[in-house]
Amino acid sequence: MTSTWAYAAYILIWPALTLGVLTVICRAVIRDINKARKAGKDLI
Amino acid sequence: MNEIEFTQFSATTVLLLLAAFYGGTYLLTLLIRKEKEDTTGFMVAGHHVGFGMGAASMTATWIWAASFYAAATSGYTYGVSGPIHYGLWGALMILFIYPFGRRFRQLAPNGHTLGELIHARHGTSSQLILAGSNILGSIISLMVNFTAAGALVSVLSPLSFQTGVIVAGVGVLAYTLTSGFRASVFTDFAQLVALMAIAIIIIPAVLFAAGGPEIMVAGLSRMTREQADLFSMDAILNQGAPFFVAVLAYAIGNQTISQRLFAVREDNIKSTFVTATLGYGAIVIGLGMIGLIALSVGIEPINGNLNNLIPQMVSTYLSPVFVALFFILVIGSLSSTADSDLSALSTIMMADVYGKNIARDNPNPTTMLLVGRITMIVATAAGLVFASFSLDILVMLVFVGALWGAIVFPVIVSCYWDRVTNAAFTWSVVVAMALFCIARFELLEMTGITVLIFELLASVGGAVVIGLMAFGFFGRITGLIAGALTLVVMLLFATGFLRDYMVLVASLTAYGASAIVCTLITLFSQERFDFDLIKQRVGNYDDAEPADDSALIPEGAK
Repeated sequence: MTSTWAYAAYILIWPALTLGVLTVICRAVIRDINKARKAGKDLI
Repeated sequence: MNEIEFTQFSATTVLLLLAAFYGGTYLLTLLIRKEKEDTTGFMVAGHHVGFGMGAASMTATWIWAASFYAAATSGYTYGVSGPIHYGLWGALMILFIYPFGRRFRQLAPNGHTLGELIHARHGTSSQLILAGSNILGSIISLMVNFTAAGALVSVLSPLSFQTGVIVAGVGVLAYTLTSGFRASVFTDFAQLVALMAIAIIIIPAVLFAAGGPEIMVAGLSRMTREQADLFSMDAILNQGAPFFVAVLAYAIGNQTISQRLFAVREDNIKSTFVTATLGYGAIVIGLGMIGLIALSVGIEPINGNLNNLIPQMVSTYLSPVFVALFFILVIGSLSSTADSDLSALSTIMMADVYGKNIARDNPNPTTMLLVGRITMIVATAAGLVFASFSLDILVMLVFVGALWGAIVFPVIVSCYWDRVTNAAFTWSVVVAMALFCIARFELLEMTGITVLIFELLASVGGAVVIGLMAFGFFGRITGLIAGALTLVVMLLFATGFLRDYMVLVASLTAYGASAIVCTLITLFSQERFDFDLIKQRVGNYDDAEPADDSALIPEGAK
């Protein structure tokens, strides 16, 4: 049972981490879009 | 387990998927199109890329089509630890470059390429060595990515390999040509979001469709002891160690990375590269786990080709919708890398070749942009031709990898030690490449004193790799101590042992020989370089003024 959980965690940790990074990146981009809009500048 | 082959789409479906992907990407670039593009925007997006866009672009660029296939192959071949020994070291290539990247940026805040910095530091020969290795690397990368597109299209549909190659080449060129690097970064974000979302869905979907973790635990009995071991020496020596040696070489040798170092806002370099490290590692190791799942459930790759593992697993266990998502995932990853390669190549030709060597620091911005766009068209054509002929790129890869290994020490040391000269840089690379060829192709009989000398050089190379990594994060004293300790350990344990791994000896020889030659020639030099000159010599081409030739003389020589 323990090794089943460990194996599941070993494989599923990577998509979970991917989701975390995706969230961080999207939040940062939204923040940058708002900043650029307020400053009247291009995003990129 | 192999009755099911790949899911087959009709030609119309695949063409519609490709049209949706490349058409959507092209439409996205219309949002950022400017009536009059400037050279700094075209090459480095004005040095003002934010953290989110920068991290997304770095991650998307570093993930190419081969990343998934190779990670899955590693999982299938080396078992439990296999995906980690592929993805972790690839991720660390991004992480280990950022401390040096901050130094590059400090020295040349208006830079576009590492070659410009080296030109300002040393002159033409050193710059062209670096630029040449960057160009070769990007052409190879373009070719590999177009080849992957052709292979995927031909495997999943009745369309030919050439059709896939041409659609990918024309599609990538179409959305990159007008806005250059700005288009590359902007579309990288969209491509990465799609890529990550699909990876998040596909990995657990394959795991549970294949029977869940219970099947995986049961599958441990199918594995060899080495495959079932998380700390397998087999995986470390055959997969991890060669990658570890390449960590700094790939990062220094790739203009796609240095371009982003010069493009991201200076205060965001660390957060951008740390996030990209995590993103790359998570996606690539995660998709590599599909290879491990295949091993656990006893899948045999179709036609014995390990590159078939992921499409085969997705086709076997998931519905055609997931296969279509996988198709977009691969097309997205290869396109994001290919557009970065096009931007990298155009920037090298604009700044290193035209700006520094043809126009001699007095370029016409309009001509410069034209050079960049023509480079993109020529590079795409070259990539398409090479990909269509399915050329064997192994020898080219061997040479480029060695060249990157040989330039690591001279490039990094040139940015910190004011005594390093152009001769030290150039000769160190030339000697290192010659010794690499002797070791790699065993041009001398590798016995007795000869092989011992190469083991000693390789030991120095190992010390250089560890020393530079420690130096980047912890400073000179720690770097020197780490390098010295590694050298002692290598001399004690590697001599008499490394000769059984001549490929590794050759790679480490490139690092070791270049470090020794560069250091020796430098120690004989009395020149002192003023690093502030780099800032003056590397500038913005849009408002370039006639170059002051007196500034091109190294200060110590005045």
